[in-house]
Amino acid sequence: MSRSGRFAAWWPRGTADLEEGHEPDPRFTFANERTFLAWSRTALALVVAGLGIVQLLPPFPRVPAGRHLLGVPLIVLGAVLAIVAYGEWVRNQRALRRGDPLPRSVMPWILAATIAGMAIISAIVLLISAVR
Amino acid sequence: MTDHEATDPEATGPEASETDEGDAGLALERTSLSWTRTAISFAALGGVMLKDNVITGLLVLAVVPLIWRLGRPPRSGLPPSGLPTVGAIRIRAITASVVGVALLSLLIAVLGPSVPGALHR
Repeated sequence: MSRSGRFAAWWPRGTADLEEGHEPDPRFTFANERTFLAWSRTALALVVAGLGIVQLLPPFPRVPAGRHLLGVPLIVLGAVLAIVAYGEWVRNQRALRRGDPLPRSVMPWILAATIAGMAIISAIVLLISAVR
Repeated sequence: MTDHEATDPEATGPEASETDEGDAGLALERTSLSWTRTAISFAALGGVMLKDNVITGLLVLAVVPLIWRLGRPPRSGLPPSGLPTVGAIRIRAITASVVGVALLSLLIAVLGPSVPGALHR
């Protein structure tokens, strides 16, 4: 599938795009909405964590940019997570309406990679500030 | 009843499926509560921002009533066919709000004054 085709599958062309197929069980629609909201709260938590690190943590000795190195990626990833969560909601809603199997979610992978990456960066910053 | 059903509150037998899980009204209520939790999350973030930048904090706090209102179930009852359209508008509003808040946070983090070590004191 081309890049534009993948984007078209991910982003609705309008509300008409979400009215194709038949109306699913309302419980499934609500469950999809709750999943989206849970991911949105996770995105907000990342933003709060990033802001807290930059604004409130004491500076790391010998690593002057350490707080920004840890906080800014978290804020950016919060925004990315919110946008990807919207795409997932669209894809799930479309699959529900068409009776297709639900698409595989990339959100857990993004979150796991984020947490692992931030843990590694945190360890490096702490080691540099403590050892050197 | 199996052990799994005895210990798992989410397990659904024939009776449960007719009462709890089979009731779309409860699904609506759970979704409404989820919207309320999201509004509270925005309020918490607005409170944190208020400490650093009053205007930005107030902007985020101004979003809270909107989100709370979006999550209220309609008084007149929503026909099932109306869910996708209304849902899409609500979900886009939340996405735009989270992205906007993240951009404001990024501006504060990069350009705004900080109180280093505020957690240390």
